[in-house]
Amino acid sequence: MTLPQAILVSVVLAPGVVFLLLALAWLLGWTPGEKLITRLTGLTFGACAFGLAALLWNVTEAHSAGVVVSFGNWFSVQDYHFPLVLLADRLSLPFLAMTVLLCGLIGQFSATYLHREPGFFRFFVLLHLFAFGSMLAFAAGSFDLLAGGWEIVGITSVLLIGFFQLRPPPVENGLRVFGVYRACDIGLLVAVFAMHHWAGTAKFATGLPQLFGRENLIVCLLLLLAAAGKAAQVPFCGWLPRAMEGPTPSSAVFYGAISIHAGAYLLLRIQPILAQSTLASGLVILAGMATALHGTISGRASADAKTSIAYASLTQVGVMFVEIGLGWTAIAVAHILGHATVRTLQFLRAPSMLHDDHRMHSAIGEHAAPAGTQAEDLLPESIRLWLYRWAFDRGHLDTILDLYVIEPLLSLSRIFARLDRAGSRGGD
Amino acid sequence: MLDILRITSTPLAGYVAIAVPWLAALMVVAYRRHVRIVGCVAAGVSAVGCVLVLGIVAPGQSLYPSVMLLYSCLTLGAMILLPQRDCSPGIVGGMLLLLGSTLLAYSTDNLLILLAAWILSAVPFFVPRWFQAQSWRPRAGLLLSSIALGVAVALMVAGTHTTSIERLQGRSPGGPAAFGLLVAAVILRKGILPAQAWISDAAEAGPAVPTSLLFSGHFGALLVAKLIVPPFAGATASFFPILSWLALATALYAAIRALAEDSPRRLLALVALSQSASILAGLESRTAEGITGALVHWYVVAVSTVGLFGIVRLLEVRFGENLTTATHLGLAQHAPRLAVSFAVFGLALLGLPGTLSFCSQDLLIHGTLQSHPLTGLLLPISTAMNAVSVFRLFTRLFLGRRRTGFTAVVDALPRERWVLAVGMVFVVLGGLFPNAFVARRSAEADLVARATETKHARMRH
Repeated sequence: MTLPQAILVSVVLAPGVVFLLLALAWLLGWTPGEKLITRLTGLTFGACAFGLAALLWNVTEAHSAGVVVSFGNWFSVQDYHFPLVLLADRLSLPFLAMTVLLCGLIGQFSATYLHREPGFFRFFVLLHLFAFGSMLAFAAGSFDLLAGGWEIVGITSVLLIGFFQLRPPPVENGLRVFGVYRACDIGLLVAVFAMHHWAGTAKFATGLPQLFGRENLIVCLLLLLAAAGKAAQVPFCGWLPRAMEGPTPSSAVFYGAISIHAGAYLLLRIQPILAQSTLASGLVILAGMATALHGTISGRASADAKTSIAYASLTQVGVMFVEIGLGWTAIAVAHILGHATVRTLQFLRAPSMLHDDHRMHSAIGEHAAPAGTQAEDLLPESIRLWLYRWAFDRGHLDTILDLYVIEPLLSLSRIFARLDRAGSRGGD
Repeated sequence: MLDILRITSTPLAGYVAIAVPWLAALMVVAYRRHVRIVGCVAAGVSAVGCVLVLGIVAPGQSLYPSVMLLYSCLTLGAMILLPQRDCSPGIVGGMLLLLGSTLLAYSTDNLLILLAAWILSAVPFFVPRWFQAQSWRPRAGLLLSSIALGVAVALMVAGTHTTSIERLQGRSPGGPAAFGLLVAAVILRKGILPAQAWISDAAEAGPAVPTSLLFSGHFGALLVAKLIVPPFAGATASFFPILSWLALATALYAAIRALAEDSPRRLLALVALSQSASILAGLESRTAEGITGALVHWYVVAVSTVGLFGIVRLLEVRFGENLTTATHLGLAQHAPRLAVSFAVFGLALLGLPGTLSFCSQDLLIHGTLQSHPLTGLLLPISTAMNAVSVFRLFTRLFLGRRRTGFTAVVDALPRERWVLAVGMVFVVLGGLFPNAFVARRSAEADLVARATETKHARMRH
């Protein structure tokens, strides 16, 4: 193994190892103190940042396409293999760097923000697991491995939404998000199978699987489903405001920075095969435009700062989908990196927004002038009212989901329960 | 008499593994003291016997010895995990009887012995003091499946004049009637649609840990792998997909049914049923991935099911037997280690990366989709719904504000902690380093795959 390969492996594994160590220590009955956890987190992400800088320098200096590390197959059965390949190319390196820097930043911020919070230890354990899952997804050299990291990101995201576990609403919202994630992840799982079935591999470290025509379209649509679920695109975006129940640092790193952009990363990764299908590209653009429109309208009727920022984030991710659908990949990557950084800052400043506002008023000596005329003022009042109701109910998307998916499923479940219990003497 | 066990050419260790639990069961019921110790020693001796058997068989022949080892280890773990309240001579004796019968069923090559083991494994559930269910369906399910198997065996023996399973390969003994009865036995015993209701009834009313051991025996899958696929290769190709569709329908039905279930035990039984139905679908897929996935999943489902039922029982003992998912109980504040163990076993059952079920689900989905592209889609859908149900159960039991009405309650006791830790290590280490485990199951899957290599399969290739 060469030095760049060793660095890549170390960077991806480091947060996972820290997660395992912390979890093991807790299971054995020892909970590390806040200071130790903070230092360990700083050290881990600091070392990862140096490692990634070295890797980036190496790739740039050598003008190479990237670093590939192959460990053979994780497991195999006859012709079917689960390849264990890591890849750090010009697409994954920026995402890896973004993950390391923002997770490290969030770690340092949270040391103060969550000081003496009962869930301090739990937060940091999950932060490391999340960082590991993200880096696995971004550094994966095959869709099989990407799916593994993808699932870890999903489960940590849900566990952090329910961070304030004594209050039922965050826990219930976490469950709702989990349901949407799982439903959309079916797309990724079936797409991976389809790639194996039609192309014989799901590895992309040495080039994307060769797919043509209808097969290509099906795989693209399945991956679009997965990407849309993770990136909260229309019609799956109802979960995003619910996810704001989590602590602010986790909202920042998940829904301002990394998790929300994972869908865009997936589409960027498959962009060459996406470009082969006009229909799939068109649908990506359509989903992005609908989301951007939905985000900007719904965000205006949001009553709290975090939800407003989340909708602003959604709007930008929608625009990124449009960029990817149009094939403007370099612009999309730059957009993602810039957006993640700015949005993280906004999320982290959200709790002190009023304080900032008061300080600004004090500094200028009077109230600031209104920000200007809003575009919606140009519309007739009846349309504005209709739009307000539409925005207030967040595009009725959750209502539609409840009415046409969740309620029918629950009703069916209750019917099955009645059937099951019908013949049971003494059944409850 | 010695040829009834085909597990090895020197079957002494196999006999010890089977006989010791039975002797211990008798001793426990008669002596009625040191019940847990006797039970643990018997299950431990049985596990050592299985290890010895496993040590001398070739990797391709290790299918049944390795499942025997799994089952004896599971019983040992369950015996240690059993709350003191449940540690009665009747319960422990029943578990040991179940262990001996299950191992006998796995190991025998004799039709009549298999039938006897099948019936014996169900006997504890007909003892009213042991199994206090008001519902008639668990007993009916077990009884009817035994009758169906009994008639099928009678037809097979009458048609071929042999009781050796090995000599029946490819002969379609007993004709379509025997095949139909065997399929009926699988449906009834495994709780496949339309005979699914007894599973949740049994879980609700029976002793939690022993009932989970009954489910984990996977007698239905055993019958498929041992007595349906090899002797009825021709009929399997033509009619077996029906059982596969029924299994997939069961997986989906149980997954939907679990979504609105409030009883933790019923919910877990439905999820376990849904997940174990996919084992049948994998075995029927006639692909190397599907069969290997089914065998790996067999292990994962068995370990996770016993672990989850064990934890629910521990919670019932500590917090009362009226646990419900209708509201948040906040038990994690009292029992954080039980909460984490529950989360790990739950996620392990549902395919979280880093656990063994991620590999088994991956293989199962690939195999099933390859075999049945459209109906196979039901498998990931049902798994997704099961994940939501288990996560709902976890959140309702462990999260939220703690219940009042009880004072300080202990978290997992050291003996419970160790057993749960071993189970978690199995599913997590198996998930991190699955290759050796999967390779061994893959070699075993060749046995089943070869038996299903029929004209139909050759045409497909």
